[in-house]
Amino acid sequence: MNGPAPSKIVLHLYVAGRSPRAERAIATLRRLCERELARYECDLVIIDVLADPQQAEARKILATPTLIKEFPEPPRRIIGDLGVPPEELLAALNLPYDGL
Amino acid sequence: MDDSLRYPTDDFQLREIVAANADGIIVVDSDGLVRFLNPAAAEILGRRVDDLIGQIFGFPVLRGERAEIDLLHPDGASQVAEMRVVDTEWDGTPAQLISLRDITEHRRAQQALRDAEAFNWAILNSLTVHLAVLDANGMIIAVNESWCDFARANGDPELRYTGVGVNYFTVCQHAMGLDSEEGTITLDGMRAVLEGRLASFELEYPCHAPHEERWFVLRVVPLRGTRPGLVVSHTNVTEHRRLSEAAAEARMLRARLSEFERELRDVDVRSRERSQNKRPLAGGVLRQRLPDVFRHALTFYKQLLEESLRHRAQPDYAIEQDPRELGEYLGNHDATARDVIEVHLASVRAASANAPQVKQQAYLEEGRLLVLELMGHLASYYRARLMTLLNEPGSPVSEQR
Repeated sequence: MNGPAPSKIVLHLYVAGRSPRAERAIATLRRLCERELARYECDLVIIDVLADPQQAEARKILATPTLIKEFPEPPRRIIGDLGVPPEELLAALNLPYDGL
Repeated sequence: MDDSLRYPTDDFQLREIVAANADGIIVVDSDGLVRFLNPAAAEILGRRVDDLIGQIFGFPVLRGERAEIDLLHPDGASQVAEMRVVDTEWDGTPAQLISLRDITEHRRAQQALRDAEAFNWAILNSLTVHLAVLDANGMIIAVNESWCDFARANGDPELRYTGVGVNYFTVCQHAMGLDSEEGTITLDGMRAVLEGRLASFELEYPCHAPHEERWFVLRVVPLRGTRPGLVVSHTNVTEHRRLSEAAAEARMLRARLSEFERELRDVDVRSRERSQNKRPLAGGVLRQRLPDVFRHALTFYKQLLEESLRHRAQPDYAIEQDPRELGEYLGNHDATARDVIEVHLASVRAASANAPQVKQQAYLEEGRLLVLELMGHLASYYRARLMTLLNEPGSPVSEQR
């Protein structure tokens, strides 16, 4: 990522229920926040589209798991099992990887 | 082959093929914006093509070549899709070609299969019989919970010798001894069932626990279906055996009863020859005829039973009560062999109630000896009484001599 390091990172993860697919995506992101993004204030929000379909429709979520990096701007939306190595995931989100 | 025969010659032809494809095809740019999608993709997403062009779908990030995702419809319904992604170009810039295949039905069918399998396992696990399925080489490929529970409770807590993946033929050889007759018979039986020479094979064997006598039946039947194999079951038949023994016991007692009855009738007839005033023996059941006497006999018999048991456990223990005394007491009240049996059965039943199985067995064994001894005393009593009558002066029988 170009530019200064972000002061805060906000991630919104949209899942459909607590299926094994959803649980794996949640675990991947928690690990990412605790390890690779440990030096940043990281805000991970999980939104269950089955429990909150209005929000999903408002954000035009077409599929889950969908991860939106809301902050730092510009927003970045990725989709899939997110099961790639952390550096690839961070690159896909346009977030810094410190090689920790 | 000419390339023009293998590949579409122009863009229009290519778009026609993509449009007709049953799989949903979406092209997204590096920001995840939809640049192209075919009608199948719009249908699978539950939206119109025009509503999706230019919308953000998301940049695909997946571990391998494919991933499963949930597709959301505007009405809240969802579908499971398999997503595949390849790098491509669109209008000269890097893009991702995403194909989506609806696998909702496939997943439902898989779930139904899993449910059916779970149901079958629930049935197998509900059975108290210990079940294992072996392949054609004797390898254990499945076991039910009863099998596992028994293994855990009997020296194989980790299921190292009787769990899935173990060769049961080898286990049988070692358990029964390589050269033992039983081991050979069992292995021959299993192979005969496997090869179709026998419809089934059964073997009853003892498997005693430290404080319990146990008997099992090993039953081997062929595995029905396309795969060759065997279904092996072990059933605890201790209770069944105990009941069979009890039935044999009852038969034996009935035989002895008839014998004693014949003897007592004979004594009775000869007694009446001596005195016409004497009332016949067996004038009704003792329990109804003289309830107090029956109760006393019952108490007496129970004491004898307890003493016998104590003597069995402590051979030094001196028995105080004398079965002969009870025999005379019963004889004095004109008891029959049938009354003795009734006293015996009622006493054993009362003593065995709520007693552990080992003690119940001991009551049965001691009672068997006691009842026969008591009958002997009763017969002796009547014989002695007859002899007295015969020897009395004026006896018609003695006068005939």
